[in-house]
Amino acid sequence: MLDTLLFVLVVAPFIAALGLYFFRANAIRVLIVLVAGVLLAGASLSLFSYAPFAVAPGLLGIEFSPLVTVLDFLLLFLFLGIGIRKRHALITTFASTQLVLLAILEIFLVKHGHESPLFVGDSLSMLMVAVVSIVGSVIVIHALPYMKNHEEHQHLQESRQPQFFAVLVLFLGAMNGLVLTNNFLHFYFFFELTTLCSYLLIRHDKTDIAITNATRALWMNCLGGVALLLAITWIYLDLGTLDMQEIIREAPQTALFLVPCGLLCLAGFTKAAQLPFQSWLLGAMVAPTPTSALLHSSTMVKAGVYLILRFAPAFMGTFFSDAVAIAGAFTFLAAGALAIGQSNGKKILAYSTVSNLGLIIACAGINTPAAVAAAMFLIMFHAVSKALMFLCVGTIEQRIASRDIEDMRGLYATMPLTAIIAVLGSLTMILPPFGMLLGKWMAIESAANNVIIVVMLAVGSAITVMYWARWAGIFMSYPIGERIEVEKQAFLTRVPLLGLLTGAFVLSFAAPWIYTDLILPSINQLSSVFPMATYVTPFDTTGGILANAKGVFPTVPLFLVCIGGGLLAIMSFKRAKKQRAVGPYLSGVQIPDDNTAYRGPLRNAIHPTAANYYLERLFGESTLTGWVNGAAIMLILLMIGGGL
Amino acid sequence: MNSVNVFLALIVGLVLAPAASGLIAGVDRRITARLQSRLGPPILQPFYDVFKLFGKERLLSNYWLAFCSFVYLVAAATATVLFFFQSDLLLIFFVQAVGSVFLVVGALTVPSPYSQVGAHRELLQILTYEPLLVLVIVGIYMVTGSFKVSAIYELNTPLLFHLPLMFLVLGYALTIKLRKSPFDISASHHAHQEIVRGVYTEYVGPYLGIIEVAHWFEIALVLGLVSLFWSTSVIGIILLLMITYFVEILVDNSTSRMTWKWMLGSAWAVGLSFSVINLVWLHYR
Repeated sequence: MLDTLLFVLVVAPFIAALGLYFFRANAIRVLIVLVAGVLLAGASLSLFSYAPFAVAPGLLGIEFSPLVTVLDFLLLFLFLGIGIRKRHALITTFASTQLVLLAILEIFLVKHGHESPLFVGDSLSMLMVAVVSIVGSVIVIHALPYMKNHEEHQHLQESRQPQFFAVLVLFLGAMNGLVLTNNFLHFYFFFELTTLCSYLLIRHDKTDIAITNATRALWMNCLGGVALLLAITWIYLDLGTLDMQEIIREAPQTALFLVPCGLLCLAGFTKAAQLPFQSWLLGAMVAPTPTSALLHSSTMVKAGVYLILRFAPAFMGTFFSDAVAIAGAFTFLAAGALAIGQSNGKKILAYSTVSNLGLIIACAGINTPAAVAAAMFLIMFHAVSKALMFLCVGTIEQRIASRDIEDMRGLYATMPLTAIIAVLGSLTMILPPFGMLLGKWMAIESAANNVIIVVMLAVGSAITVMYWARWAGIFMSYPIGERIEVEKQAFLTRVPLLGLLTGAFVLSFAAPWIYTDLILPSINQLSSVFPMATYVTPFDTTGGILANAKGVFPTVPLFLVCIGGGLLAIMSFKRAKKQRAVGPYLSGVQIPDDNTAYRGPLRNAIHPTAANYYLERLFGESTLTGWVNGAAIMLILLMIGGGL
Repeated sequence: MNSVNVFLALIVGLVLAPAASGLIAGVDRRITARLQSRLGPPILQPFYDVFKLFGKERLLSNYWLAFCSFVYLVAAATATVLFFFQSDLLLIFFVQAVGSVFLVVGALTVPSPYSQVGAHRELLQILTYEPLLVLVIVGIYMVTGSFKVSAIYELNTPLLFHLPLMFLVLGYALTIKLRKSPFDISASHHAHQEIVRGVYTEYVGPYLGIIEVAHWFEIALVLGLVSLFWSTSVIGIILLLMITYFVEILVDNSTSRMTWKWMLGSAWAVGLSFSVINLVWLHYR
């Protein structure tokens, strides 16, 4: 059964992708996507009952390694071809470097026939599989009506949806392979495959800007590929194994080992779009919204933080680990500051992603069991809330034809349901009792012994509140007195939105149980292998209250207060509706027949307008980007040099 | 905690704490008046004001204002109750932030320039004091080894001796939270200075009353945080609170309102550097 589940999660998406590409009828596409989504989600949940597991080489009697090797070379030749055709020096260089390295590794170094488990599942990979398969599938389903509208706007001669959906589903398979595999070279293959998928998705519309941005994403991720392959080669020369579990267990923590760890983290940074590599993820915003939603929540960038988190035990307790934490915390702060200066909704979401991933990487660097728990919580809750926000913005954008948050004023009047969902989505990013805040709370409490990191987390956290609260207020604004009717929406648009929102609430409520059933085993495993990890008491979760000697987070009681308070507030809202409506305060010169205008010179009716503070001179992209990129490069040098 | 203590904490947190804040606000108005050679209103005036507000007609320019005012109240009350339950300081602070966020969200839903500008200024105030308060809490953790309020009451020496610079940082945050000069940029704490009250502009009648009560909860919470710095004796707590509050009134009456840039710059520069010095000092002690 386990074999079948793994087959469904890793191989079936490849088959579904072929189906989507070759059977181009609309009905068949919808059918394949829905079936694949349900299968993936179901398989990812069933997999939990088998964890932890380690599967011997070969799956259903198939030997994978030769196939993966062949595909890997194909992939690299493809990158090389793109580089040469576009005359892009960086892509060409990076692809050929990887080809040479891989050839040396495969032909001269690696002794095949070494028996190590092919797939390994522990708490972290289970969590990632669930995020990829469930959140990812929801996004792909939401893409069905979205892409139909998208192509209607473009008036295409021939639909390009078959390619698009094939790549989306392929992406999910690649991610599942990436988080489940235990062979480092297979990991490398899946890592490069996600690079290819993101490249294809970003350039999907084939406009000039889409192609430019896709090319940028490709060269940055190829740089990550080079770093990863260098690290694999180095580690293989050092330890003589490609078994990832064995590498982590036997990590010697010498300079000769920490430098390749630095390269691994560099690869993670490029994939997770950490400063100074954020530009590819921001450029990816030109792609259709499902692409952004997928890249930001359940795939691609999560592969980067997964890599760092996976190898975190190997460098526990070193200065290198602190350097990773500082680099992550800096990104959390700097990307948050950049988000303040933006009025483009998707850019705010993008910077927020970069910022939150920085927080996750900071947790990996702090590297105590509590911090790792925080990182796992953040991965899960960020995926759900961020996917929700992207899908909301995508849905809104198709309706109002703008992604500028200033144009979303009055949204509650035209799209009441989506507006409320978006407000709740924003709140789940910043406020208790929701999961993101729980993760942030755990992160700050575990960082409290490190002055530099905790200052950056404190400031970054305040900045986060600023840009989310501002946006939530705009969603709720509307001209009073109008009759509000629920908007019409495709079934496959509404269900994913409501589903993700419910997910964000239910998972937050279930956080104490998720902690005991999923995260605690992972911490116990960590403590049994690494004695230095045991000094923090894990949380006790009696009565839905997370508590240890250091702190307490009463999740379920807070939820009850939240529900009670919410009901009270809704009652008050309904009661207020029965009253006479008035216009806003306009210094007493309101016009009687239009209460939103005041009487100006020559008795003109003037409608006052206000816009958000974006504080561009402090937080604008052009002001900040250069400085923070410079600082981030310094920190990465510190990180890699810190190993020596 | 046994059930009697839980009951007491609920009573103190839900009733006595906001009532005490209301009284303090009344005393504040009297002292301020005397400093300005006026007589000032009766000490119970803040309560009269709130009762009067509850009797007014419910006129709103956006119905979400009603929603937001109640969330603000519930969040502020929850945070205060959690404080008297001696819960986790960082968590209490985050629960309190829910209220501040909803106050702003409500103000942002109305297209009135006053309320919009006030809301953005309030956000800048949150941006200014939040990191400072988090760092004060981290400083307390460095001394006690726990984020729980209960751990502070187990100390033998007052926190003030370990965290003198942190206390000054808390003073900064307190001035902002109390809406006093020079940091009263989003809404002045006394309506008599200006009728248009920034972030409060569009909250009217009973809803403004609710906001006032919620603000009392917040004041109680921040003063509670101040009281932790002399947790070893009751007289110490009272003296510390009286001196701190009197200094706040003096500052309020001897300074004028500054711009948000000055607030953000000075509070972060002074606050963050004082915090870092104090934290480093604790770390290597």
